[in-house]
Amino acid sequence: MKDFLLGLAFMAAGAIVYLVAQQFPTMPSLQYGPSLFPSLIGGGFMIGGLILAISHVGALKGIGHGMTWHMDREQLRNTLLSILPGLAIVFYILTSEWLGALLSLALVMFVLMLARRTPPLLALGVSLVAALIVDLLFSRYLLIPLPEGLMSIWG
Amino acid sequence: MDAFLQGLALVFNFQTLLVIIGAAIFGVFVGAVPGLTATMAVALLVPITFYMDPTPAIAAIVTTSAMAIFAGDIPGTYLNIPGTPASAAYVGESHQLARQGRARETLGTNLVCSMFGGLFGTLVLVFVSPSLAEVALKFSSFEYFWLALLGLSCSIFISIGSKTKAFLSLLVGLLLSTVGLDMMSGAPRFTFGIPDLMAGVNFIPVMIGMFALNELMMFYGSRNEGRNVPAVHKDEVFSSVPKHLKRYWRNLLRGSSTGTLIGALPGAGADIAAWISYAMGKSRSKDRDAYGTGHIEGIVDASSANNSGISGAWVPALVFGIPGDSITAIVIGVLYMKGMNPGPTIFMDGGGLIYALFIVFFIANLIMLPIGYIAIRSAKVFILTPRKILMPIILCFCIVGAFAINNTITDVWIMLITGSVAFILARNDFPMAPAILGLVLGGTLENNFMSSMLKSNGDLLSFFSRPISAGLGAMVILIWFVPLFIRLYRRYRGAPQSPRTP
Repeated sequence: MKDFLLGLAFMAAGAIVYLVAQQFPTMPSLQYGPSLFPSLIGGGFMIGGLILAISHVGALKGIGHGMTWHMDREQLRNTLLSILPGLAIVFYILTSEWLGALLSLALVMFVLMLARRTPPLLALGVSLVAALIVDLLFSRYLLIPLPEGLMSIWG
Repeated sequence: MDAFLQGLALVFNFQTLLVIIGAAIFGVFVGAVPGLTATMAVALLVPITFYMDPTPAIAAIVTTSAMAIFAGDIPGTYLNIPGTPASAAYVGESHQLARQGRARETLGTNLVCSMFGGLFGTLVLVFVSPSLAEVALKFSSFEYFWLALLGLSCSIFISIGSKTKAFLSLLVGLLLSTVGLDMMSGAPRFTFGIPDLMAGVNFIPVMIGMFALNELMMFYGSRNEGRNVPAVHKDEVFSSVPKHLKRYWRNLLRGSSTGTLIGALPGAGADIAAWISYAMGKSRSKDRDAYGTGHIEGIVDASSANNSGISGAWVPALVFGIPGDSITAIVIGVLYMKGMNPGPTIFMDGGGLIYALFIVFFIANLIMLPIGYIAIRSAKVFILTPRKILMPIILCFCIVGAFAINNTITDVWIMLITGSVAFILARNDFPMAPAILGLVLGGTLENNFMSSMLKSNGDLLSFFSRPISAGLGAMVILIWFVPLFIRLYRRYRGAPQSPRTP
């Protein structure tokens, strides 16, 4: 079922890529313009997606004959937890400018550790030390301009 | 001779040697923690190598990857969880031996075989690459186009599992490679008005996303911590190694040569090398029935193959700029950043750098012995490091590492998006190696196609007008059509026996 849906998703993505590629400018001196490769890739997506969907069309028939496709509570919980690192990155992107990289990273680590049932005190200690090391390594040693945010108050 | 002495001076200095030791320890740690792969180790290392001189930067990558591939055997042996995918082929074998109280003996044999395999692959790299480079000097855009297409085709047909999924994965990588200003017309493609995308998608955030963030998401999506170490140690690390090597020296040579060859094929890395060598060893063994019950012979074949594969992958990467596996795909980017443009000219104008690279390979494989020995003796430290503490720290390295490439938050977004896409694809058994090769080789493929078209006024037949180009073109066509013909032939032969039912 998942493969069937992924096949459809690739077909849709292929169509979008193909249509966007048609809008790229062409130059009279060039026989093959900037749209050639993206168009081929879009076409490839559509063909590959179609093959994938067709080869798993049996899953649809199964649903039609009484088979159900559902996610149990455990699967749903695991899927939601797997999004956690992604959400943590979004949190960092949104907050690092005003909280500063050090605090944002420490918060991200602390929450992620708690999510896997690390004792809170241990999680807090490790998060703070690790954030300090990462910040020192990248902003002091490698001279990466990580946002300072609130920490700029201490200079 | 001067270049060789320059190379020696570049390697044997305090900074480089310190980097090698540091990278070896880092490689052991990452390899020995289940779920962290050698590619992930290298991807996380790249932002730091950014600020190093070329030789220590390359030394760090070579040493980390070699050590991580070996160290992947440690949790495989103790916990039956391969530390890296390259150890998966023989994990059952080594775990069975550990349950018999022979964990250190197994790991000792593993270590020596890994070192031998690595050195074997290095010798091939040293002696074969310069000769291949002389041939490659005659290559023009026509040959490079076919070579890139050959590499991409191999990555589909060598991959394990569905070829359709490998093909789609490759297209994802190729699509990413088209982002940015078009080389010929200067037209922006898929940039969505974001200035940071004008120069294209930087491959390092993509690598970090595909290999590190993807693993992190997998970890949070599962409940497995897997922490039961049978701590019985009646054996010694190296005492039985000479006996095993004397008995299985043919396996050692076969595993090393197969591994080097498979490693050199684009898209096939150390994991595929280990699987194929293990299968070859089993099919040729006199004790075939003992396989799966804790038989050291299978370990000799496969553990030498995965390390020789790492060295073998560098041959096409250095000579043609075509990566042999996902690690060398990252390396190619690092080489460009360090001004060492991969391709035949690297052997001519690289000065002492190319010799330094060869020397680094020897040291990285030799240092494996003492550091690997210490790692085996203190295996519990690596295995018992709780992933629930380690994974959030790795996530922070991912965020800061992606940001550090261009000091822009766009790269963090790229890491997040590609990591999420990779997670969905990997969970549905899409291989990741073709996507990486697509991203790295996409530019080479398109630029060489466009240059060739300009040279030949759009005549497509010119791709077959030069002998080497025609030969490479024929190989690509064969790779695509032979499986189809075989399938049709089998269907034709099988048709009378098994008529189709309506």
